[in-house]
Amino acid sequence: MAGTLLTMIGGIGVVRFSDFLSRVHAAAKAPTLGLLLVAVGAAIEIGSGKALVTLLLVVVLQLFTSPVATHLLARASYGEVDIELDGGDDLAQHFAAEAEEPAAAEEAKLPEKRVERPRDQGNG
Amino acid sequence: MIFVAIVFLAVAAGCFLYRLLRGPSTPDRVVALDGVLSVVVSGIVVAAAKANSDIILVTVLVVSLVGFVGTVALGRFVERRGG
Repeated sequence: MAGTLLTMIGGIGVVRFSDFLSRVHAAAKAPTLGLLLVAVGAAIEIGSGKALVTLLLVVVLQLFTSPVATHLLARASYGEVDIELDGGDDLAQHFAAEAEEPAAAEEAKLPEKRVERPRDQGNG
Repeated sequence: MIFVAIVFLAVAAGCFLYRLLRGPSTPDRVVALDGVLSVVVSGIVVAAAKANSDIILVTVLVVSLVGFVGTVALGRFVERRGG
């Protein structure tokens, strides 16, 4: 059962990585692949048709729901949490540039439409 | 063979629990909880392989669905309230 090794690597990655987004990255994909391998191993080990169908359902469900949940969480927490990044924050620069350019174009009809994403405090 | 798998899963669960306890922010804890649940799912599958029964596998389905719903709900919570 080599799949549990992948889950363990994911767990170690969650502990070791220093900033939040890389922890999300480690926690998202490694256990999914680990579960896939474990399910394949268990299906071979048990070897009945019912187990095969159930494990297939589990794996498909995990493959669909895990990226959705992780993406939702990462998107919700960007800007809400004070993240210390290892590299530069490209997305913040992108937001800043985007806020400058269309704001100048739309300033005539829609003043103060664009709101900066809050960095440190929540909405209430 | 299965013993080694269980040891690996235990180490992974320990790592996730460490992050769950120490995590500096709420999303960290949510991610760690998701990881713990994933370890639990893998553990149930390993237990089913050890016991050679396919009845336990229905539990896996339920646990993974509950985990998904819980993670999504906590994500909405974090989005509304802030970390």
